[in-house]
Amino acid sequence: MKLLVVEDEKELSKSIATYLKQENYLCEIAPDFKTAIDKTESFDYDCILLDISLPDGNGLNVLKELKANNKTDGVIIISAKNSIDDRIAGLNLGADDYLAKPFHLSELSARISAVIRRRRFDGNKIIVLNEITIDTVAKMVAIHHVGLDLTRKEYDLFLYLVSNKNRVISKNAIAESISGEGADLYDNYDFIYAHMKNLKKKLTAAGCEDYIKSIYGMGYKFTI
Amino acid sequence: MKLLQKTIRSYFIYSVVILLVAIPVFYFVIQGIVREDIDENLLNKKELFKPKIKEALLNNSVDQLKFFDNDISVSASSSAREFDTLTTVEIFDTIAKELVPYRLLASHFAIDGKLYVLKIKISLVDNDDLIESIVKVQVILLILLLTGLFVINRNLSKKVWMPFYITLQKLRNYKVEKHEPLSLSKSSITEFNDLNASLQELTDRTHKSYLNQKEFTENAAHEMQTPVAVLQGKLELLMQTVPITEEQAQLIEEIYDAGNRMTKLNKSLVLLTSIENSEFAEKETISVKHCVEKFILLYEAQIKEKQVVIENKMDEDVVLCANNALIEILISNLTGNAIRHNYIGGRIILQLNKDSLSIQNTGRLTALNEDKIFQRFHKESTDANSTGLGLEMVKKVCNINHYTISYRFTDNMHGFTINFTTPKNQNIFDKY
Repeated sequence: MKLLVVEDEKELSKSIATYLKQENYLCEIAPDFKTAIDKTESFDYDCILLDISLPDGNGLNVLKELKANNKTDGVIIISAKNSIDDRIAGLNLGADDYLAKPFHLSELSARISAVIRRRRFDGNKIIVLNEITIDTVAKMVAIHHVGLDLTRKEYDLFLYLVSNKNRVISKNAIAESISGEGADLYDNYDFIYAHMKNLKKKLTAAGCEDYIKSIYGMGYKFTI
Repeated sequence: MKLLQKTIRSYFIYSVVILLVAIPVFYFVIQGIVREDIDENLLNKKELFKPKIKEALLNNSVDQLKFFDNDISVSASSSAREFDTLTTVEIFDTIAKELVPYRLLASHFAIDGKLYVLKIKISLVDNDDLIESIVKVQVILLILLLTGLFVINRNLSKKVWMPFYITLQKLRNYKVEKHEPLSLSKSSITEFNDLNASLQELTDRTHKSYLNQKEFTENAAHEMQTPVAVLQGKLELLMQTVPITEEQAQLIEEIYDAGNRMTKLNKSLVLLTSIENSEFAEKETISVKHCVEKFILLYEAQIKEKQVVIENKMDEDVVLCANNALIEILISNLTGNAIRHNYIGGRIILQLNKDSLSIQNTGRLTALNEDKIFQRFHKESTDANSTGLGLEMVKKVCNINHYTISYRFTDNMHGFTINFTTPKNQNIFDKY
C-alpha cells in the first residue's frame, strides 16, 4: 500500500509516517503544493492525506487536479480549519473523508484503512486475520467461520482495534471513536472497559485467541 | 424624563402661571379704569347740576327738576357732611326685576339752614358687561397665543432634535461585530455634527479593536492546532515504544489527557470564532422537538450510564427557520450539560411549547451565578471535560437568531429556557 502525506509541518508528517509504517504502508511525504502536484502526476497512491493550507497553494487544488486527470486515489483531507465550508468543499470535490486537526493517529489509521477498503475494486472488503474474519460490508465478525453476535459498539470497537493492530491505542481515542462528540459527557472512560470486557468475553467464548491486551490502563493493543 | 417632555413641561408651567396671574390682574385693571371714568362723570354731573338744583330749591321748583332725570334726586337730609361720598350700591330694578349695581354720588349741602342731599347714580350693568367682554376676548387671545407657541415649539423641537434621535436609533442598532458604518447624516446644527463625528470616530475605533481581538483569537486558535497535533502524534508514537514501564504509561496517559483537553478547548474556540464570523448563514426549517430527541438518542449510552431519567414533556413543536449547525450546537450543548452536570439517578425535564424550550436538570444543590455563566471560560464545575465555552456558544447562537435565554434555579433543578420569539423593533416615533 502506498500513501502520500501532503503536509507542511515536518514533525507531523514524520509522526504520521512512523505510525503508519507499522501497518506496512509505504509513506511518501510532500511538504508543499509543488511536490504534491509532481508526485500525484507521476505516481498512483492508494490514499493521499491532504492538508488544505500549504505554504505555496491550496490543497484543494491538488484534489481538483487529481479529479481532472481522472485519478482514483483515495483522499483524506486533514485540515486545521474545521470549517463547515471547507469540509463541504472538500467532500464535494471528491475527497473520501475529512479529519480536523488535531487528530489521533489511531483515528487516522482507521480512516485510511476504511478508505482503502472502500476503494478496492476486487470486491474484497473482507479482512482475514488468522481465525478472525471481518466482513466490513455486512459489519459481521466470524471466528473459525462461525458468526459472532456483536453489538454495534462492540463491532466498531473491534474494527478500530484491528485497524490499528500491533499498536497501542489510547483510551481517549477509543472513547472518541465509539461515542463521537458525546465522549466528553462521560465522567470517566470506564464504559470502554465494560465494552472491552464484553468483546473479549465473546471472542474467547467463540474460540478466538486473546489478542487484546490492556497496557497499564493507558490504552489497548491488538497484537497479532 | 424625555427631552421634549422636559422643555415642553417648563413652557407649560410658565404659560399656566402667566395666564392665572394675567387674567385677574387684567380684569381689575380694566375695572379700575372704568370706575375712575364713571366717578369723574358723576362729579362732573354734580358740578353741572348742583347750582341748578340750589336755584330750584330757592324757587321751590324741585319737583320740575325730578322730572327730567330719574338718576338724580334731591331729598332732605338729617346730617351734614362736608365731603361727597361715592359708593357702589345694588338697587332693585322694577323693570328688570333684579338687583342692579349702581355707582352712587351723595353730596350734602344746606340752603337756608335746611339740610339737603343730592344723589346722582349711574348704572354699572353696561360697564360690567363691557369689562366682561373685554376680559373674555383677552383670555381667548392669550390662550390662543400660548397654545400656538406651545405647538410651534413642540414641532420645532421635534424637528431640531430629529437628527439626535436618528443618531440615537442608529447607535442602538449598531453592532460592533457587524461592519456597518453608522452613516450619520449631516445636520444644520453644529453640535449634532460634532456629536456625529465623535461617534463615528468612536465606533470606528471600537470596531477596529474588536477586529484585532477577534483576529488574535482566531489566529491563536489556528496556530495552536498544529503544535497540539504534533504533540498528540508524538505521544501516540511514544506509546508504541517498547519496553514501557507502568510509571511511564501513567505519565503518558496523563499528558495525553491534558493534550486532549487542549484539543477540545481549541476546537471550541475555533467553533466559537466561526460562529462570530457568521460562517453559518444558510437557513432551513428545523423542528426543535426532532432535534432535541435526536441528541437524547445520541447520548443514550451516557444517559443510561448515569441512570438519568428523562421526562419528555414536549407536547408542541416549534419549527424554526435557522441554520441547522447552529441549532445543533445550541441543543447539543444544553442537553449535554444537563447530562454532564447531573448526578447518578438524576432527572432531566424537557418542555417545549409554542415559543420556548426549557431544559431542567438535577445537579449540584446551589444555583449557578446567573451573571457569569454565559461568560467565556467561566466554569462552575471542576470537571476536566468542561471547556467553559459551551454556554458562551449557546448565548452567541441565541444572539444571532434573536432568541432570549434565561437561567433559573427552582426546586433544586437548574433550568435553561430559550424563547424563540423575536422582540419587535419599535418605531423611533413611538418612543419619543
